[in-house]
Amino acid sequence: MNNEAMNNGKIQNPNDQTCGERSRTIPKGNTATLVVEQVTKRYGAGATEVTAVRDVTMTVAPGEVVLIMGPSGSGKTTLLSMLGALLKPTEGAIQLNGDVISALAENRLPDIRLKQFGFIFQDFNLLSALSALENVALVAQLAGAKGREARKRASDLLTDLGLRERLNFLPEKLSGGEKQRVAIARALVNDPAIILADEPTANLDSKIGHEIMRLLRRIAKEQNRSVVIVSHDQRIKDIADRVLWLEDGQFKEMVTMAIDPVCGMSVEREKAAAALEVGGTTYYFCSKGCRAEFEGEQLKGR
Amino acid sequence: MTLLALRNLFQNKARLVISVGGVALALMLILSLDAIFTGMERRVTAYIDQSGADIFVSQSGVRNMHMASSWLAASARAEVEAVSGVDSVTPILYITNMIVIGDERNLAYIIGLPEDAKAGGAWKVTAGRGQPKPGETVIDRGVAEKSGAAPGDEAEILGRKFEIVGLSEGTASLVNSVAFVSMADFATLRGTPGSVSFLLVTVKPGDSAEAVAARIESEVDDVTAQSTTEFAVQERKVIKDMSTDVIALMNAIGFLIGLAVMALTVYTATFARRAEYGVLKALGARNGHLYHAVLMQAFISVALGFALGLIFTLAVSAVAPRLSLTLALEVSGASLIKVGAVSLIIGGLAAILPIRQIAGLDPAMVFRGK
Repeated sequence: MNNEAMNNGKIQNPNDQTCGERSRTIPKGNTATLVVEQVTKRYGAGATEVTAVRDVTMTVAPGEVVLIMGPSGSGKTTLLSMLGALLKPTEGAIQLNGDVISALAENRLPDIRLKQFGFIFQDFNLLSALSALENVALVAQLAGAKGREARKRASDLLTDLGLRERLNFLPEKLSGGEKQRVAIARALVNDPAIILADEPTANLDSKIGHEIMRLLRRIAKEQNRSVVIVSHDQRIKDIADRVLWLEDGQFKEMVTMAIDPVCGMSVEREKAAAALEVGGTTYYFCSKGCRAEFEGEQLKGR
Repeated sequence: MTLLALRNLFQNKARLVISVGGVALALMLILSLDAIFTGMERRVTAYIDQSGADIFVSQSGVRNMHMASSWLAASARAEVEAVSGVDSVTPILYITNMIVIGDERNLAYIIGLPEDAKAGGAWKVTAGRGQPKPGETVIDRGVAEKSGAAPGDEAEILGRKFEIVGLSEGTASLVNSVAFVSMADFATLRGTPGSVSFLLVTVKPGDSAEAVAARIESEVDDVTAQSTTEFAVQERKVIKDMSTDVIALMNAIGFLIGLAVMALTVYTATFARRAEYGVLKALGARNGHLYHAVLMQAFISVALGFALGLIFTLAVSAVAPRLSLTLALEVSGASLIKVGAVSLIIGGLAAILPIRQIAGLDPAMVFRGK
């Protein structure tokens, strides 16, 4: 089993092994399916025209963690911006639960962004004059929550993310990992269906970066939210359900990740050392040894 | 968003000092120039305003004192005294001339006062006497100090030496000062016995200056009679036309510079947070939210700057007359309303400018780190 600290609708403080009792229940996430159909984005015109994203099609299911990787300038951020209703495609459509959000009028998009999407940025992008609590509460207020309610939601989320002692700290007093957790709380405060993260580990050391990625995965699995991450960081592939490789604005290779049911390691389905179908479900293994162990367990179970 | 505006303004002390201090200094410049202009306008008619007269009667067609010459027959005094509603009539002689003390030459209204003057004399005497006898003069304290003179010293007026017997205050402006001599000396020196320049009239209680002035004009030949208020208005108009236009222009330029500095300060304060407002927009804030935050921040900083600027200006108003007796700063209510209203508008516009750019921006820029 994955050793993520999670239990029925609660996020456990990653830094506090004893906080399970204190952690609060976050409402089960708002869920949605994001469908991208033959989306193209072009900038400029004529001789200066650049196609950043070319005829991309993908679907992100509720609870799925999708990692989009690719070299610099491959169109990852443009694609992420379009997924989050920050940018309109030149061609194609983006649907959220069947609604074509890419065709909505500009004045309807802020509400979609506030309530359906949670954004996590590479540089955290917290408001420097506001405390951690205020940074999160402000976004709840923008979505219509009253001051007290917004602060309570913000406080609960930050406490769940292990920042109870940092509620009133300004961003400059927080570490990189703490800032990113505040940014995650801010992304979650309006109960969005989809979390979009742009290079969320870029400014974090490897340990904290991995911790943040595990947290995002927990959020996806526990609350059934979709998480789309754009990153260069190869080390975070193991937290994704799917890894998409974007190059020259197009998906070149799609890697579907699976968890070895024996050792808990992430494995690429296509490159798994072994696979086994049991009762209509296919299991993937990092080694033949794991498969043998799994088969043994299955036989015992019978 | 109000909280964000307050936090943006107050969270960083150095930024607070720069933004509010910048606005305060800019507004102090505007308010001070306005106060100097208002004070100067008031001072140029100080003699008329403080004369104690309700009506100024002059030669027909003469409507002010500055650069004007008015001559009335001595008999006019009795005719005016006979008009209903007139309580007292004080004749004065007047000419613009120089007070010479040592090497110092100061332009002054020279007033020839009768010994029994009920109006037209010095209204605030800081040393000596206010009523000059033959051979004596009362001059402005600032002029005396500038020339190093004191009561007992001599001053040359109309080509003759007078003993300074009194110093008056509030009788100097940027244009000139007022000096008082006896009417007899004045008449002798100017060779105008039997005539006067103006008649300063007080009216009986219950009568209005305007009504009595109208009666004087209708009953006495070849005179112009105006209430003191109207006479002062005419005086200001003439002086403004002749000289204070330059000051008005300086005031206007100062006003524009002050507004520009204030606008730049507010613009910079908002611009510094531009990226953060961009993040808010990406997260889903509407343009209205952004405008609310920046306008609130601008209005609070302008209001604080205005209050601070006013305190500075009042301090300067208190100190300036001690340094220069000809300079009087007067902060008027009209000036406060004008400067306050224009500052809020300009401050608001300056704050909106960087946000307008964000409002028109592609929110995806935030993801690209722009």
